[in-house]
Amino acid sequence: MLFDSLTTSGSIPTLEKLYSFTASRHRLISHNIANISTPDFRQADVSVSNFQEQLRDAVARRRAETGGMHGDLTLNETSEVKPAADGRLVLTPTTPSGNILYHDRSNRDLEKLMQDLVENTMTFRVASDLLRSRFELLRAAIAERA
Amino acid sequence: MFGSLDISASGMIAQRMRMDVLSANIANANTVLNESGQVDPYRRRIPLMAPGNPSAGSAQGRSFGVHLAEVALDQAPPAVREFDPNSPLAYTSGPFKGYVAATNINTTFEQINAMEAMRAYEANLAAAEATKQMAQAALRLLA
Repeated sequence: MLFDSLTTSGSIPTLEKLYSFTASRHRLISHNIANISTPDFRQADVSVSNFQEQLRDAVARRRAETGGMHGDLTLNETSEVKPAADGRLVLTPTTPSGNILYHDRSNRDLEKLMQDLVENTMTFRVASDLLRSRFELLRAAIAERA
Repeated sequence: MFGSLDISASGMIAQRMRMDVLSANIANANTVLNESGQVDPYRRRIPLMAPGNPSAGSAQGRSFGVHLAEVALDQAPPAVREFDPNSPLAYTSGPFKGYVAATNINTTFEQINAMEAMRAYEANLAAAEATKQMAQAALRLLA
């Protein structure tokens, strides 16, 4: 398909995976923030570095198979990140935050949560802006003008 | 991603309800008579949160967020003040007979809890703001 090769060329699939990962992780972080005063609640997150490794492996596999310029990315399933059929990433948080337990048996860590929130939002914006510039490029090519 | 907004909203609702409970505690710090005018000091209410949002529409929505699960009564024994059997606020029976009743509410403690609730509310607000920015960035892809 013509359009398939347009939307799976270059960095678009990588950005798309990063985009879905940060969007799904945002939900986990919001959940942890909402439960900041819940007794017995243990914060859980997914490991960003594990996802980066997963993404790196997928990019390496694509490079080996197609030379790296086109083709869709297929992420390997890990215990935390599972690609769903509709292209979204299903996250199962198992990475503990590692903070001490307070008297109500919660390991809340507001500073780390807010830092994660900001980092994740910024990563999302980077993915979104880069993806947008790729689409702008496609649009310019279709319209035959810059 | 719009589910994230529901999660933050559930957090804000829970913290606001917690604040209502704390306000009621402070308002009743000196309430020692019950509705029918008998000596029965007001017991401190403790708001208890639990993960999950039972009012959400979808199963996935119900597993995220937070809600106020229970408003528990503090079981600590009520405090007493001076011995004055003639006071209308004194116990007429029981182990504290003749002592003027008082509640077990410490307003400083409640104020600090209220401050914490306010900060937690603000944290949820910041998360909602981040969600909004992300949604705007996503919508710009279409423009």
